[in-house]
Amino acid sequence: MDGGAGGNAGGGGLSTAKTPADFLKSIRGRPVVVKLNSGVDYRGILACLDGYMNIAMEQTEEYVNGQLKNKYGDAFIRGNNVLYISTTKRTLGDQ
Amino acid sequence: MLFFSYFKELVGKEVTVELKNDLAITGTLHSVDQYLNIKLENTRVVDETKYPHMLSVKNCFIRGSVVRYVQLPPDGVDVDILHDATRREARGT
Amino acid sequence: MATEDESAVKEPLDLIRLSLDERIYVKLRSDRELRGKLHAYDQHLNMILGDVEEVITSVEIDDETYEEIVRTAKRHVPYLFVRGDGVILVSPPLRTS
Repeated sequence: MDGGAGGNAGGGGLSTAKTPADFLKSIRGRPVVVKLNSGVDYRGILACLDGYMNIAMEQTEEYVNGQLKNKYGDAFIRGNNVLYISTTKRTLGDQ
Repeated sequence: MLFFSYFKELVGKEVTVELKNDLAITGTLHSVDQYLNIKLENTRVVDETKYPHMLSVKNCFIRGSVVRYVQLPPDGVDVDILHDATRREARGT
Repeated sequence: MATEDESAVKEPLDLIRLSLDERIYVKLRSDRELRGKLHAYDQHLNMILGDVEEVITSVEIDDETYEEIVRTAKRHVPYLFVRGDGVILVSPPLRTS
């Protein structure tokens, strides 16, 4: 509809990402931060995700109030808990 | 559909349903529907001193969405059948 | 499309499928954690676990020092049906692949 404000050219680093779905497709295998509604953060490698935003992650670290609380080799996160998924520049433990 | 079928097989057995408000009710499973709503008969509340107003409740209908857990009778769990049913269900979705 | 490779993780639920008959860790809402053997699940993450240990974590504030006191209550349940809407995270045992 509108050619103006939306996902037009000149966005950030991901030149292929236009829609949210395209973004989600493009970030498989990348290091990500997943924030849940509860405020808990999960940092790890995004293995895959589905239409419910269910997420499979590898080498996952759980941060509560910024403090590392747990590590999981593999983790499945139920999609309804997800607030956002964000890519991170570097891999684990740099913050 | 898997757990609907499973709970139908469990009708007549005694289960303990734990609700999201921490109330736990033991009773005989009378019936279940596709939403996993549950009807219990001959009910008793596990912690009766904490919920004295529940003493007179002998039957109840529990909306599926308020259930946290159902404690299952050991003789009501056939592990091999569950595995097969789960694999069938996973293929179908 | 359909490959015979049943060990591949193509969608998140595959992670759960590969954990059937294995002990898993489940993180639930309201500060509950379960460890048990996964006997059945569906797409909602409804599950039947066996030989289950539940840990409930609660935080109290000391009346005088205002320090946080973390308490954990544990119990064991032989077989437990878990409704999927309370599930936050499921972690399978470490895979050797």
